[in-house]
Amino acid sequence: MIESEINMSESNIENSVTAPEKPVIEFKGVSKRYANGTHALEDVNITINKGEFVFVVGSSGAGKSTFMKLIMREERANTGIIRVNGFNLTKMKRKQVPMLRRTMGIIFQDFRLIPKMSVYDNVAFAMHVVGAPNRRIRKEVINALNAVGLGDKKNSMPNELSGGEQQRVGIARALVNNPDLIIADEPTGNVDPNMSFDIVSMLKSINEMGTTVLMVTHDHELVREFKQRVIMLDSGRIIADNVAGGDEE
Amino acid sequence: MKSGDISYLTKEGIKNTVANRLMTIASVGVLVACMVVIGLAILISENGDRAIKNLEKENVVMAYMKDYSWAQYGEHDKPLKTGTNGEIDASEYLIHNDEEAQDVCKNIEKIDNVQKVEFISSEDGLKGLTKDMFADQEQYFSSFLNEKHGNPLSCAAKVTMENMEDFDKTLEKIQKIDGIDVIRSQADSAKKIVAIKNAVKIAGAWIVAILMIISLVIVSNTIRITMYNRKLEISIMKAVGATNSFVRLPFIVEGVTIGIISAIISEGLLYVCYRIVSERLVEILGNSIIPYSDVALPLLGIFAGIGIVSGIIGSSIMISKYLRKEGSEFAAI
Repeated sequence: MIESEINMSESNIENSVTAPEKPVIEFKGVSKRYANGTHALEDVNITINKGEFVFVVGSSGAGKSTFMKLIMREERANTGIIRVNGFNLTKMKRKQVPMLRRTMGIIFQDFRLIPKMSVYDNVAFAMHVVGAPNRRIRKEVINALNAVGLGDKKNSMPNELSGGEQQRVGIARALVNNPDLIIADEPTGNVDPNMSFDIVSMLKSINEMGTTVLMVTHDHELVREFKQRVIMLDSGRIIADNVAGGDEE
Repeated sequence: MKSGDISYLTKEGIKNTVANRLMTIASVGVLVACMVVIGLAILISENGDRAIKNLEKENVVMAYMKDYSWAQYGEHDKPLKTGTNGEIDASEYLIHNDEEAQDVCKNIEKIDNVQKVEFISSEDGLKGLTKDMFADQEQYFSSFLNEKHGNPLSCAAKVTMENMEDFDKTLEKIQKIDGIDVIRSQADSAKKIVAIKNAVKIAGAWIVAILMIISLVIVSNTIRITMYNRKLEISIMKAVGATNSFVRLPFIVEGVTIGIISAIISEGLLYVCYRIVSERLVEILGNSIIPYSDVALPLLGIFAGIGIVSGIIGSSIMISKYLRKEGSEFAAI
Protein backbone atom coordinates (compact mmCIF):
# COMPACT_ATOMS: atom_id res chain seq x y z
CA MET A 1 0.00 0.00 0.00
CA ILE A 2 2.79 2.38 0.93
CA GLU A 3 4.65 1.58 -2.24
CA SER A 4 1.62 2.20 -4.38
CA GLU A 5 0.89 5.48 -2.65
CA ILE A 6 4.40 6.62 -3.23
CA ASN A 7 4.40 5.57 -6.85
CA MET A 8 6.27 8.65 -7.99
CA SER A 9 6.44 9.74 -11.56
CA GLU A 10 9.86 10.35 -13.05
CA SER A 11 8.97 13.98 -13.71
CA ASN A 12 8.89 14.67 -9.99
CA ILE A 13 12.30 13.23 -9.32
CA GLU A 14 14.28 15.64 -11.35
CA ASN A 15 17.54 14.53 -9.91
CA SER A 16 18.77 12.50 -7.01
CA VAL A 17 20.99 14.35 -4.58
CA THR A 18 24.29 12.75 -5.25
CA ALA A 19 26.33 15.40 -7.02
CA PRO A 20 27.72 17.97 -4.54
CA GLU A 21 27.19 20.88 -6.90
CA LYS A 22 23.48 20.19 -7.20
CA PRO A 23 21.22 22.35 -5.05
CA VAL A 24 19.42 20.62 -2.21
CA ILE A 25 16.93 23.47 -1.82
CA GLU A 26 16.01 25.87 -4.56
CA PHE A 27 13.42 28.66 -4.36
CA LYS A 28 12.66 30.65 -7.53
CA GLY A 29 10.33 33.62 -7.21
CA VAL A 30 8.39 31.96 -4.41
CA SER A 31 5.51 33.80 -2.78
CA LYS A 32 3.10 32.52 -0.19
CA ARG A 33 -0.08 34.24 0.79
CA TYR A 34 -2.49 32.68 3.32
CA ALA A 35 -6.25 32.64 2.96
CA ASN A 36 -6.58 35.35 5.61
CA GLY A 37 -4.59 37.70 3.38
CA THR A 38 -1.25 37.48 5.19
CA HIS A 39 1.69 37.74 2.82
CA ALA A 40 4.09 35.31 4.49
CA LEU A 41 6.75 35.21 1.76
CA GLU A 42 7.33 37.55 -1.15
CA ASP A 43 9.41 36.68 -4.20
CA VAL A 44 11.97 34.53 -2.40
CA ASN A 45 14.92 33.34 -4.49
CA ILE A 46 17.47 31.15 -2.80
CA THR A 47 19.67 28.14 -3.41
CA ILE A 48 21.16 25.88 -0.74
CA ASN A 49 23.68 23.36 -1.99
CA LYS A 50 24.52 19.92 -0.72
CA GLY A 51 26.77 19.94 2.34
CA GLU A 52 25.93 23.47 3.43
CA PHE A 53 25.09 24.46 7.02
CA VAL A 54 22.61 27.32 6.97
CA PHE A 55 21.10 29.35 9.78
CA VAL A 56 17.72 30.95 9.10
CA VAL A 57 17.10 33.93 11.34
CA GLY A 58 14.46 36.61 11.63
CA SER A 59 12.01 38.08 14.07
CA SER A 60 8.56 36.60 14.74
CA GLY A 61 6.34 36.91 11.68
CA ALA A 62 9.34 37.27 9.39
CA GLY A 63 8.31 34.18 7.41
CA LYS A 64 10.73 31.59 8.87
CA SER A 65 7.97 29.08 9.68
CA THR A 66 6.38 29.45 6.26
CA PHE A 67 9.82 29.04 4.66
CA MET A 68 10.28 25.74 6.53
CA LYS A 69 6.73 24.57 5.87
CA LEU A 70 7.21 25.12 2.16
CA ILE A 71 10.39 23.03 2.23
CA MET A 72 8.62 20.22 4.10
CA ARG A 73 5.65 20.59 1.73
CA GLU A 74 3.32 21.27 4.62
CA GLU A 75 2.21 24.33 2.68
CA ARG A 76 2.18 25.04 -1.05
CA ALA A 77 3.54 28.20 -2.66
CA ASN A 78 1.12 30.45 -4.51
CA THR A 79 3.72 31.36 -7.10
CA GLY A 80 7.25 30.31 -7.95
CA ILE A 81 9.11 27.02 -8.10
CA ILE A 82 10.48 25.04 -5.15
CA ARG A 83 12.82 22.09 -5.55
CA VAL A 84 13.94 20.06 -2.53
CA ASN A 85 16.18 17.00 -2.69
CA GLY A 86 15.37 16.60 -6.36
CA PHE A 87 11.61 16.85 -5.94
CA ASN A 88 9.68 19.58 -7.68
CA LEU A 89 7.31 20.60 -4.91
CA THR A 90 5.26 22.79 -7.21
CA LYS A 91 4.12 19.78 -9.26
CA MET A 92 4.17 17.28 -6.43
CA LYS A 93 0.98 15.36 -5.69
CA ARG A 94 -0.19 14.92 -2.14
CA LYS A 95 0.45 11.17 -2.09
CA GLN A 96 4.08 11.75 -3.08
CA VAL A 97 4.80 13.92 -0.05
CA PRO A 98 5.85 10.99 2.21
CA MET A 99 8.71 10.12 -0.15
CA LEU A 100 10.00 13.71 -0.01
CA ARG A 101 9.89 13.66 3.77
CA ARG A 102 11.86 10.43 3.87
CA THR A 103 14.76 12.33 2.39
CA MET A 104 14.84 14.77 5.29
CA GLY A 105 15.15 14.57 9.06
CA ILE A 106 13.21 17.05 11.15
CA ILE A 107 14.24 18.26 14.58
CA PHE A 108 11.62 20.11 16.62
CA GLN A 109 12.02 22.79 19.25
CA ASP A 110 9.75 20.86 21.65
CA PHE A 111 11.58 17.54 20.99
CA ARG A 112 8.32 15.71 20.10
CA LEU A 113 9.29 12.53 21.91
CA ILE A 114 6.51 10.05 22.62
CA PRO A 115 6.36 9.91 26.45
CA LYS A 116 5.21 6.29 26.71
CA MET A 117 8.06 5.02 24.53
CA SER A 118 11.64 4.43 25.60
CA VAL A 119 14.53 6.31 23.99
CA TYR A 120 15.20 3.30 21.76
CA ASP A 121 11.54 2.99 20.72
CA ASN A 122 11.27 6.70 19.96
CA VAL A 123 14.11 6.43 17.49
CA ALA A 124 12.99 3.04 16.13
CA PHE A 125 9.52 4.49 15.58
CA ALA A 126 10.87 6.67 12.77
CA MET A 127 12.19 3.56 11.03
CA HIS A 128 9.05 1.48 11.57
CA VAL A 129 7.07 4.26 9.92
CA VAL A 130 9.09 3.97 6.71
CA GLY A 131 8.81 0.19 6.75
CA ALA A 132 12.43 -0.66 7.60
CA PRO A 133 13.10 -4.32 8.42
CA ASN A 134 13.55 -5.16 12.11
CA ARG A 135 17.17 -6.27 11.76
CA ARG A 136 18.10 -2.93 10.18
CA ILE A 137 16.12 -1.05 12.79
CA ARG A 138 18.05 -2.76 15.63
CA LYS A 139 21.38 -1.87 14.04
CA GLU A 140 20.66 1.68 12.90
CA VAL A 141 18.93 2.79 16.10
CA ILE A 142 21.93 1.76 18.21
CA ASN A 143 24.27 3.51 15.77
CA ALA A 144 22.20 6.70 15.88
CA LEU A 145 22.01 6.68 19.67
CA ASN A 146 25.77 6.11 19.91
CA ALA A 147 26.31 8.99 17.48
CA VAL A 148 24.51 11.38 19.83
CA GLY A 149 26.14 9.89 22.92
CA LEU A 150 23.04 8.21 24.32
CA GLY A 151 23.86 4.57 23.67
CA ASP A 152 23.75 3.85 27.40
CA LYS A 153 20.32 5.46 27.82
CA LYS A 154 18.41 3.52 25.21
CA ASN A 155 16.07 2.02 27.79
CA SER A 156 15.38 5.30 29.58
CA MET A 157 12.04 7.03 29.25
CA PRO A 158 11.97 10.60 27.91
CA ASN A 159 10.92 12.06 31.27
CA GLU A 160 14.09 10.63 32.81
CA LEU A 161 16.26 12.74 30.50
CA SER A 162 17.35 16.38 30.63
CA GLY A 163 16.18 18.82 27.94
CA GLY A 164 19.50 18.55 26.15
CA GLU A 165 19.39 14.75 26.21
CA GLN A 166 15.83 14.76 24.91
CA GLN A 167 16.89 16.95 22.02
CA ARG A 168 19.73 14.55 21.29
CA VAL A 169 17.18 11.76 21.05
CA GLY A 170 15.33 14.02 18.59
CA ILE A 171 18.55 14.37 16.59
CA ALA A 172 19.08 10.60 16.63
CA ARG A 173 15.52 10.14 15.34
CA ALA A 174 16.14 12.68 12.56
CA LEU A 175 19.41 10.93 11.65
CA VAL A 176 18.34 7.32 11.78
CA ASN A 177 16.90 7.18 8.26
CA ASN A 178 20.09 8.69 6.79
CA PRO A 179 18.46 11.82 5.36
CA ASP A 180 20.07 14.12 2.80
CA LEU A 181 18.77 17.17 4.60
CA ILE A 182 18.28 17.96 8.29
CA ILE A 183 15.76 20.65 9.13
CA ALA A 184 16.10 21.89 12.70
CA ASP A 185 13.32 24.19 13.85
CA GLU A 186 14.85 26.13 16.79
CA PRO A 187 16.44 23.01 18.24
CA THR A 188 18.07 25.00 21.05
CA GLY A 189 14.91 26.88 22.02
CA ASN A 190 14.20 24.66 25.04
CA VAL A 191 17.70 23.93 26.30
CA ASP A 192 20.25 25.87 28.34
CA PRO A 193 23.07 27.82 26.58
CA ASN A 194 25.79 25.24 27.23
CA MET A 195 23.65 22.46 25.90
CA SER A 196 22.69 24.67 22.95
CA PHE A 197 26.33 24.84 21.97
CA ASP A 198 26.64 21.04 22.21
CA ILE A 199 23.58 20.51 20.07
CA VAL A 200 24.73 22.82 17.31
CA SER A 201 28.19 21.21 17.50
CA MET A 202 26.52 17.86 17.01
CA LEU A 203 24.59 19.19 14.00
CA LYS A 204 27.83 20.62 12.64
CA SER A 205 29.50 17.20 12.98
CA ILE A 206 26.61 15.63 11.07
CA ASN A 207 26.98 18.36 8.44
CA GLU A 208 30.68 17.63 8.10
CA MET A 209 29.77 14.09 7.11
CA GLY A 210 27.92 15.50 4.09
CA THR A 211 24.38 16.10 5.30
CA THR A 212 22.90 19.50 4.53
CA VAL A 213 21.62 21.23 7.68
CA LEU A 214 19.07 24.03 7.75
CA MET A 215 18.56 25.47 11.22
CA VAL A 216 16.06 28.09 12.28
CA THR A 217 17.20 29.98 15.37
CA HIS A 218 16.73 33.11 17.42
CA ASP A 219 20.04 32.62 19.18
CA HIS A 220 22.38 35.19 17.66
CA GLU A 221 25.21 34.05 19.94
CA LEU A 222 25.20 30.63 18.31
CA VAL A 223 25.06 32.14 14.85
CA ARG A 224 28.09 34.30 15.64
CA GLU A 225 29.91 31.41 17.29
CA PHE A 226 29.57 28.92 14.42
CA LYS A 227 30.17 31.32 11.52
CA GLN A 228 28.02 29.58 8.90
CA ARG A 229 25.82 30.86 6.10
CA VAL A 230 22.97 32.97 7.47
CA ILE A 231 19.70 33.70 5.69
CA MET A 232 17.83 36.56 7.30
CA LEU A 233 14.12 37.02 6.68
CA ASP A 234 12.01 40.06 7.41
CA SER A 235 8.37 40.61 6.45
CA GLY A 236 8.49 37.64 4.09
CA ARG A 237 11.57 38.78 2.20
CA ILE A 238 15.21 37.73 2.35
CA ILE A 239 17.04 40.81 3.58
CA ALA A 240 20.46 39.19 4.03
CA ASP A 241 22.20 36.05 2.83
CA ASN A 242 25.73 35.90 4.16
CA VAL A 243 28.06 33.12 3.18
CA ALA A 244 29.81 30.98 5.77
CA GLY A 245 32.26 32.87 7.91
CA GLY A 246 30.68 36.23 7.18
CA ASP A 247 29.10 38.48 9.78
CA GLU A 248 25.52 37.88 10.67
CA GLU A 249 24.33 41.38 9.77
CA MET B 1 2.62 -2.84 2.55
CA LYS B 2 5.03 -5.41 3.93
CA SER B 3 3.88 -8.17 6.27
CA GLY B 4 6.19 -6.76 8.95
CA ASP B 5 4.41 -3.39 8.69
CA ILE B 6 1.01 -5.02 8.95
CA SER B 7 2.07 -7.01 12.00
CA TYR B 8 3.55 -3.87 13.64
CA LEU B 9 0.50 -1.74 12.87
CA THR B 10 -1.92 -4.45 13.99
CA LYS B 11 -0.12 -4.64 17.34
CA GLU B 12 -0.30 -0.84 17.59
CA GLY B 13 -4.04 -0.93 16.87
CA ILE B 14 -4.67 -3.56 19.54
CA LYS B 15 -2.52 -1.61 22.01
CA ASN B 16 -4.65 1.47 21.29
CA THR B 17 -7.82 -0.49 21.98
CA VAL B 18 -6.53 -1.47 25.41
CA ALA B 19 -5.06 1.95 26.20
CA ASN B 20 -8.34 3.63 25.27
CA ARG B 21 -10.36 1.11 27.24
CA LEU B 22 -13.17 3.33 28.54
CA MET B 23 -14.22 4.45 25.10
CA THR B 24 -13.70 0.91 23.84
CA ILE B 25 -16.15 -0.38 26.47
CA ALA B 26 -18.69 2.32 25.54
CA SER B 27 -18.40 1.48 21.85
CA VAL B 28 -18.62 -2.25 22.50
CA GLY B 29 -21.74 -1.66 24.66
CA VAL B 30 -23.55 0.22 21.92
CA LEU B 31 -22.49 -2.23 19.23
CA VAL B 32 -23.57 -5.19 21.37
CA ALA B 33 -27.01 -3.57 21.89
CA CYS B 34 -27.28 -3.08 18.15
CA MET B 35 -26.21 -6.62 17.35
CA VAL B 36 -28.49 -8.23 19.94
CA VAL B 37 -31.49 -6.37 18.49
CA ILE B 38 -30.48 -7.51 15.02
CA GLY B 39 -30.05 -11.06 16.33
CA LEU B 40 -33.46 -11.00 18.02
CA ALA B 41 -35.14 -9.76 14.85
CA ILE B 42 -33.47 -12.56 12.89
CA LEU B 43 -34.43 -15.19 15.47
CA ILE B 44 -38.06 -14.03 15.60
CA SER B 45 -38.23 -13.98 11.83
CA GLU B 46 -36.65 -17.43 11.47
CA ASN B 47 -38.92 -18.92 14.14
CA GLY B 48 -41.91 -17.29 12.46
CA ASP B 49 -40.95 -18.88 9.16
CA ARG B 50 -40.61 -22.25 10.78
CA ALA B 51 -43.95 -21.94 12.60
CA ILE B 52 -45.68 -21.03 9.33
CA LYS B 53 -44.11 -23.99 7.58
CA ASN B 54 -45.22 -26.27 10.41
CA LEU B 55 -48.74 -24.92 10.19
CA GLU B 56 -48.76 -25.42 6.47
CA LYS B 57 -47.72 -29.01 6.98
CA GLU B 58 -50.73 -29.49 9.23
CA ASN B 59 -53.22 -28.92 6.43
CA VAL B 60 -56.17 -29.83 8.60
CA VAL B 61 -59.31 -27.82 9.28
CA MET B 62 -62.14 -28.43 11.74
CA ALA B 63 -65.61 -27.87 10.26
CA TYR B 64 -68.08 -27.49 13.14
CA MET B 65 -71.69 -28.29 12.47
CA LYS B 66 -74.94 -26.56 13.35
CA ASP B 67 -75.95 -29.33 15.68
CA TYR B 68 -78.31 -29.79 18.54
CA SER B 69 -75.75 -29.15 21.25
CA TRP B 70 -75.59 -25.44 20.37
CA ALA B 71 -79.29 -25.12 21.18
CA GLN B 72 -78.44 -25.28 24.85
CA TYR B 73 -76.40 -22.11 24.67
CA GLY B 74 -78.06 -20.25 21.83
CA GLU B 75 -76.25 -18.55 19.04
CA HIS B 76 -74.42 -15.31 19.60
CA ASP B 77 -77.11 -13.10 18.12
CA LYS B 78 -80.22 -15.20 18.64
CA PRO B 79 -82.18 -16.05 21.76
CA LEU B 80 -82.28 -19.62 22.97
CA LYS B 81 -84.96 -21.45 21.02
CA THR B 82 -87.26 -23.43 23.23
CA GLY B 83 -90.60 -25.17 22.82
CA THR B 84 -93.75 -24.34 24.74
CA ASN B 85 -92.76 -26.50 27.71
CA GLY B 86 -89.35 -24.95 27.94
CA GLU B 87 -87.65 -27.85 26.21
CA ILE B 88 -85.23 -27.06 23.40
CA ASP B 89 -86.73 -26.93 19.95
CA ALA B 90 -84.44 -29.24 18.04
CA SER B 91 -86.21 -28.64 14.73
CA GLU B 92 -84.40 -25.34 14.38
CA TYR B 93 -81.10 -27.13 13.94
CA LEU B 94 -79.85 -28.92 10.85
CA ILE B 95 -77.93 -31.68 12.53
CA HIS B 96 -79.91 -33.66 15.02
CA ASN B 97 -77.83 -36.76 15.44
CA ASP B 98 -74.54 -38.44 14.54
CA GLU B 99 -75.98 -40.06 11.43
CA GLU B 100 -76.87 -36.69 9.96
CA ALA B 101 -73.43 -35.42 10.87
CA GLN B 102 -71.82 -38.42 9.13
CA ASP B 103 -73.80 -37.51 5.99
CA VAL B 104 -72.32 -34.03 6.10
CA CYS B 105 -68.88 -35.64 6.33
CA LYS B 106 -69.61 -37.67 3.23
CA ASN B 107 -70.60 -34.49 1.37
CA ILE B 108 -67.32 -32.91 2.39
CA GLU B 109 -65.41 -35.94 1.15
CA LYS B 110 -66.84 -35.34 -2.31
CA ILE B 111 -65.11 -31.99 -2.60
CA ASP B 112 -61.95 -31.87 -4.72
CA ASN B 113 -58.74 -31.44 -2.77
CA VAL B 114 -60.21 -33.12 0.31
CA GLN B 115 -58.01 -36.03 1.19
CA LYS B 116 -59.66 -37.36 4.32
CA VAL B 117 -62.60 -36.54 6.58
CA GLU B 118 -62.84 -37.78 10.14
CA PHE B 119 -66.03 -37.40 12.11
CA ILE B 120 -65.59 -36.07 15.66
CA SER B 121 -68.72 -36.40 17.77
CA SER B 122 -69.44 -33.74 20.36
CA GLU B 123 -68.67 -36.29 23.11
CA ASP B 124 -65.29 -37.15 21.57
CA GLY B 125 -64.65 -33.44 21.12
CA LEU B 126 -65.30 -32.77 24.80
CA LYS B 127 -63.11 -35.67 25.85
CA GLY B 128 -60.29 -34.39 23.69
CA LEU B 129 -60.69 -30.86 24.97
CA THR B 130 -60.76 -31.79 28.64
CA LYS B 131 -57.77 -34.07 28.10
CA ASP B 132 -55.78 -31.31 26.38
CA MET B 133 -56.71 -28.44 28.69
CA PHE B 134 -57.47 -30.01 32.05
CA ALA B 135 -55.52 -33.21 32.04
CA ASP B 136 -55.43 -33.44 35.83
CA GLN B 137 -58.99 -32.29 36.41
CA GLU B 138 -60.84 -34.11 33.66
CA GLN B 139 -63.31 -35.61 36.06
CA TYR B 140 -64.27 -32.30 37.68
CA PHE B 141 -64.50 -30.46 34.40
CA SER B 142 -66.78 -33.06 32.81
CA SER B 143 -69.05 -33.23 35.80
CA PHE B 144 -69.23 -29.43 35.98
CA LEU B 145 -70.39 -29.26 32.38
CA ASN B 146 -72.84 -32.10 32.76
CA GLU B 147 -74.37 -30.57 35.84
CA LYS B 148 -74.73 -27.13 34.37
CA HIS B 149 -75.56 -27.37 30.70
CA GLY B 150 -74.24 -30.57 29.25
CA ASN B 151 -71.75 -30.71 26.36
CA PRO B 152 -71.34 -27.30 24.68
CA LEU B 153 -69.32 -28.62 21.74
CA SER B 154 -70.71 -29.20 18.29
CA CYS B 155 -69.84 -32.27 16.40
CA ALA B 156 -67.24 -31.62 13.76
CA ALA B 157 -65.54 -32.92 10.64
CA LYS B 158 -61.77 -33.01 10.75
CA VAL B 159 -60.82 -32.36 7.13
CA THR B 160 -57.38 -33.02 5.72
CA MET B 161 -56.58 -31.31 2.45
CA GLU B 162 -54.34 -32.55 -0.30
CA ASN B 163 -52.93 -29.26 -1.46
CA MET B 164 -52.56 -26.10 0.61
CA GLU B 165 -52.47 -23.94 -2.51
CA ASP B 166 -56.23 -24.48 -2.95
CA PHE B 167 -56.82 -23.99 0.76
CA ASP B 168 -59.12 -20.96 0.53
CA LYS B 169 -61.21 -22.37 -2.34
CA THR B 170 -61.70 -25.65 -0.54
CA LEU B 171 -62.75 -23.82 2.61
CA GLU B 172 -65.39 -21.91 0.65
CA LYS B 173 -66.77 -25.15 -0.73
CA ILE B 174 -66.93 -26.76 2.71
CA GLN B 175 -68.62 -23.66 4.10
CA LYS B 176 -71.39 -23.90 1.49
CA ILE B 177 -72.42 -27.40 2.57
CA ASP B 178 -75.66 -27.40 4.58
CA GLY B 179 -75.08 -28.07 8.25
CA ILE B 180 -71.66 -26.46 8.47
CA ASP B 181 -71.52 -23.71 11.00
CA VAL B 182 -67.96 -22.46 11.36
CA ILE B 183 -64.63 -23.64 10.11
CA ARG B 184 -61.56 -23.31 12.27
CA SER B 185 -58.25 -23.61 10.57
CA GLN B 186 -54.70 -22.73 11.51
CA ALA B 187 -54.68 -20.32 8.59
CA ASP B 188 -55.66 -17.60 11.04
CA SER B 189 -52.68 -18.41 13.22
CA ALA B 190 -50.45 -18.47 10.17
CA LYS B 191 -51.73 -15.05 9.11
CA LYS B 192 -51.09 -13.68 12.58
CA ILE B 193 -47.57 -15.10 12.59
CA VAL B 194 -46.91 -13.62 9.14
CA ALA B 195 -48.19 -10.25 10.37
CA ILE B 196 -45.98 -10.41 13.48
CA LYS B 197 -43.01 -11.51 11.39
CA ASN B 198 -43.51 -8.65 8.95
CA ALA B 199 -43.95 -6.14 11.76
CA VAL B 200 -40.76 -7.41 13.39
CA LYS B 201 -38.96 -7.17 10.06
CA ILE B 202 -40.05 -3.59 9.43
CA ALA B 203 -39.52 -2.41 13.00
CA GLY B 204 -36.27 -4.38 13.14
CA ALA B 205 -34.99 -2.77 9.95
CA TRP B 206 -35.65 0.71 11.35
CA ILE B 207 -34.19 -0.07 14.74
CA VAL B 208 -31.17 -1.69 13.13
CA ALA B 209 -30.66 1.28 10.79
CA ILE B 210 -30.86 3.74 13.68
CA LEU B 211 -28.59 1.63 15.89
CA MET B 212 -26.11 1.22 13.06
CA ILE B 213 -25.88 4.99 12.67
CA ILE B 214 -25.48 5.39 16.44
CA SER B 215 -22.81 2.71 16.53
CA LEU B 216 -20.95 4.32 13.63
CA VAL B 217 -20.99 7.63 15.48
CA ILE B 218 -19.78 5.96 18.67
CA VAL B 219 -16.99 4.06 16.92
CA SER B 220 -15.99 7.25 15.08
CA ASN B 221 -15.87 9.16 18.34
CA THR B 222 -13.79 6.47 20.00
CA ILE B 223 -11.36 6.62 17.13
CA ARG B 224 -11.36 10.42 17.24
CA ILE B 225 -10.41 10.37 20.91
CA THR B 226 -7.63 7.86 20.21
CA MET B 227 -6.50 10.02 17.33
CA TYR B 228 -6.26 13.16 19.42
CA ASN B 229 -4.48 11.17 22.13
CA ARG B 230 -2.02 10.09 19.47
CA LYS B 231 -1.72 13.47 17.82
CA LEU B 232 1.96 13.62 18.68
CA GLU B 233 2.66 10.20 17.18
CA ILE B 234 0.72 11.07 14.04
CA SER B 235 2.67 14.32 13.64
CA ILE B 236 5.95 12.44 13.97
CA MET B 237 4.76 9.77 11.54
CA LYS B 238 3.89 12.42 9.00
CA ALA B 239 7.19 14.23 9.58
CA VAL B 240 9.29 11.15 8.92
CA GLY B 241 7.36 10.21 5.80
CA ALA B 242 4.57 7.85 6.81
CA THR B 243 1.90 7.38 4.18
CA ASN B 244 -1.72 8.00 5.04
CA SER B 245 -2.34 4.24 4.85
CA PHE B 246 0.32 3.64 7.46
CA VAL B 247 -1.20 6.25 9.76
CA ARG B 248 -4.70 4.96 9.12
CA LEU B 249 -4.19 1.24 9.66
CA PRO B 250 -3.83 1.14 13.50
CA PHE B 251 -7.09 3.10 13.82
CA ILE B 252 -8.87 0.76 11.46
CA VAL B 253 -7.47 -2.19 13.45
CA GLU B 254 -8.84 -0.55 16.59
CA GLY B 255 -12.28 -0.11 15.00
CA VAL B 256 -12.29 -3.69 13.74
CA THR B 257 -11.13 -5.01 17.15
CA ILE B 258 -14.07 -3.20 18.77
CA GLY B 259 -16.36 -4.77 16.17
CA ILE B 260 -15.04 -8.29 16.70
CA ILE B 261 -15.21 -8.04 20.51
CA SER B 262 -18.80 -6.80 20.17
CA ALA B 263 -19.68 -9.67 17.82
CA ILE B 264 -18.36 -12.31 20.24
CA ILE B 265 -20.12 -10.75 23.26
CA SER B 266 -23.38 -10.39 21.29
CA GLU B 267 -23.24 -14.02 20.22
CA GLY B 268 -22.74 -15.17 23.83
CA LEU B 269 -25.41 -12.85 25.21
CA LEU B 270 -27.95 -13.85 22.60
CA TYR B 271 -27.22 -17.53 23.20
CA VAL B 272 -27.92 -17.17 26.93
CA CYS B 273 -31.10 -15.11 26.38
CA TYR B 274 -32.39 -17.40 23.63
CA ARG B 275 -31.74 -20.48 25.70
CA ILE B 276 -33.72 -19.09 28.63
CA VAL B 277 -36.62 -17.94 26.42
CA SER B 278 -36.68 -21.06 24.24
CA GLU B 279 -36.78 -23.36 27.28
CA ARG B 280 -40.05 -21.67 28.26
CA LEU B 281 -41.39 -21.57 24.71
CA VAL B 282 -40.67 -25.24 24.04
CA GLU B 283 -43.21 -26.09 26.73
CA ILE B 284 -45.85 -24.08 24.84
CA LEU B 285 -44.87 -24.45 21.21
CA GLY B 286 -43.19 -27.84 21.30
CA ASN B 287 -40.25 -28.53 19.07
CA SER B 288 -41.05 -25.84 16.52
CA ILE B 289 -38.44 -23.55 18.18
CA ILE B 290 -35.21 -23.40 16.18
CA PRO B 291 -32.25 -24.68 18.22
CA TYR B 292 -29.60 -21.96 18.67
CA SER B 293 -26.95 -24.26 17.27
CA ASP B 294 -28.74 -24.07 13.89
CA VAL B 295 -28.32 -20.30 13.70
CA ALA B 296 -25.19 -19.76 15.82
CA LEU B 297 -22.69 -19.67 12.96
CA PRO B 298 -24.71 -17.54 10.53
CA LEU B 299 -25.46 -15.12 13.38
CA LEU B 300 -21.79 -14.93 14.34
CA GLY B 301 -21.00 -14.25 10.70
CA ILE B 302 -23.59 -11.47 10.55
CA PHE B 303 -22.36 -9.95 13.83
CA ALA B 304 -18.72 -10.13 12.74
CA GLY B 305 -19.70 -8.56 9.42
CA ILE B 306 -21.55 -5.73 11.12
CA GLY B 307 -18.69 -5.23 13.61
CA ILE B 308 -15.98 -5.22 10.97
CA VAL B 309 -17.88 -2.99 8.56
CA SER B 310 -18.86 -0.46 11.25
CA GLY B 311 -15.29 -0.56 12.60
CA ILE B 312 -13.77 0.11 9.20
CA ILE B 313 -16.29 2.75 8.17
CA GLY B 314 -16.36 4.46 11.59
CA SER B 315 -12.59 4.71 11.86
CA SER B 316 -11.98 5.51 8.18
CA ILE B 317 -14.40 8.44 8.22
CA MET B 318 -12.70 9.99 11.22
CA ILE B 319 -9.05 9.37 10.33
CA SER B 320 -9.55 10.54 6.75
CA LYS B 321 -11.17 13.73 8.00
CA TYR B 322 -8.32 14.22 10.46
CA LEU B 323 -5.60 13.56 7.89
CA ARG B 324 -7.17 16.02 5.45
CA LYS B 325 -7.03 18.77 8.06
CA GLU B 326 -4.87 18.61 11.20
CA GLY B 327 -2.96 15.50 10.14
CA SER B 328 -0.82 17.34 7.64
CA GLU B 329 0.14 20.13 10.04
CA PHE B 330 2.91 18.39 11.91
CA ALA B 331 5.20 21.37 12.26
CA ALA B 332 2.97 23.20 14.70
CA ILE B 333 0.72 20.84 16.62
